[in-house]
Amino acid sequence: MMRQPAASWKTAILLLLLSLFVAFVAARDFRVMNAPDVFAPAEGFARKMLSEYFPPLKGTTADTPVFIREGKEPGGTVLILGGTHPVESAGILAATLFLENASVPRGRLIVIPNANAMALTHNSPQEGHPQRIHFALKDGSTRVFRYGSRATNFTDEWPFPEIYVHPASGQKLSGKERSNLNRCYPGVPDGSMTERLAFAIVELIRKEKVDLAFDLHEASPEYPVVNAIVAHERSMELAAIVTMELEGLGIPIRLEPSPKNLRGLSHREWGDSTDVLPILMETGNPSQGRLRGRTDERLVLTGEDKAYVKAAALGRLFIPYEGNQLIAYRVARHVTAIRVFVENLEMVRPGKGVTLEGIPQYEEILKQGVEAFLKPVPKKREV
Amino acid sequence: MTFVYRLLVLVILALVIRCMFRERDFWKQATAALVVVPLVLRLLMIK
Repeated sequence: MMRQPAASWKTAILLLLLSLFVAFVAARDFRVMNAPDVFAPAEGFARKMLSEYFPPLKGTTADTPVFIREGKEPGGTVLILGGTHPVESAGILAATLFLENASVPRGRLIVIPNANAMALTHNSPQEGHPQRIHFALKDGSTRVFRYGSRATNFTDEWPFPEIYVHPASGQKLSGKERSNLNRCYPGVPDGSMTERLAFAIVELIRKEKVDLAFDLHEASPEYPVVNAIVAHERSMELAAIVTMELEGLGIPIRLEPSPKNLRGLSHREWGDSTDVLPILMETGNPSQGRLRGRTDERLVLTGEDKAYVKAAALGRLFIPYEGNQLIAYRVARHVTAIRVFVENLEMVRPGKGVTLEGIPQYEEILKQGVEAFLKPVPKKREV
Repeated sequence: MTFVYRLLVLVILALVIRCMFRERDFWKQATAALVVVPLVLRLLMIK
């Protein structure tokens, strides 16, 4: 009978040490994502936290900064939300451009650049996603923005149910959708972390009496709702005016009604739960698409992808694609659309107009890039 | 709930390490070492 070799304790110890070393290196890399992005708000913005509108959020990973700029002249209130899905960078950057450049002579502007902070603390390595995107500023410094995930971090939103039953409607979705902020509105005060976050945002809209609110997104070019405005029926008149103006400015954009039977989304639930005029906007981002090739920071910033050139030639895309979708173009679309919405707010809400100044024009963003309108910030970490 | 989850992860991690020490075949030991990495990260609620 052959004798079995003895188990090698030495090998096991060496392998265990190697495993712990790899876990340490990986942990350090993952934990860097917990460091918050740094913003340089324009003069006059007051910084609050979302937990001030819903105290149970205080001290949790869901709490996120809320920046408020009050104009001298009374008027309406506009809310800009970036980072509902932190993988959709143009939304975060457009909100940041308002935060860092806007002056508000009339009315109020509220900016939440990182709506789902829990989705910014991780990314999707198996999708090839980068952890961060970088912008070189004129003064030689670099602005860094995290490139997070569409979903709340698993460590905050555990366990997923098999089926997510939307509490307000009974609508059934895949269990993982409970970690998608834009399926959880109007939120639940004692629900999961993402449902509580959604509830806090709706509380902010109610307490601040927001008149016009934007939820900024990006979508893959092969998805039908892209380069689009999605409007609640109450927002539709204003959205129609803006769509025509944008077309006049050479910015093609679709106008989609918010489906009444698709529940949990900002454009539906904000409107049904509060008096706000909700608007969701999408730009086309190839780094989110399923047809994309090599996925890295370059793709996020340029949108250049050979597969999308072929798909465009075959007529498979819902955006005009001529080889790229630059981040400057995607941000410029969002910024210009918001500007036009705000300029027309007075028409549908008399006495509730808001005046914004210092916002870069469409052509300026295209020519000078997003980085020209980002402010230098103190260097907090090496990344 | 999270406490129970982490306890389960800890038990599984301990069993994997036990296997690694009792296993005679190097490649099976190496496979166990690979499994240890995500379990450690999950136990610490890092990933």
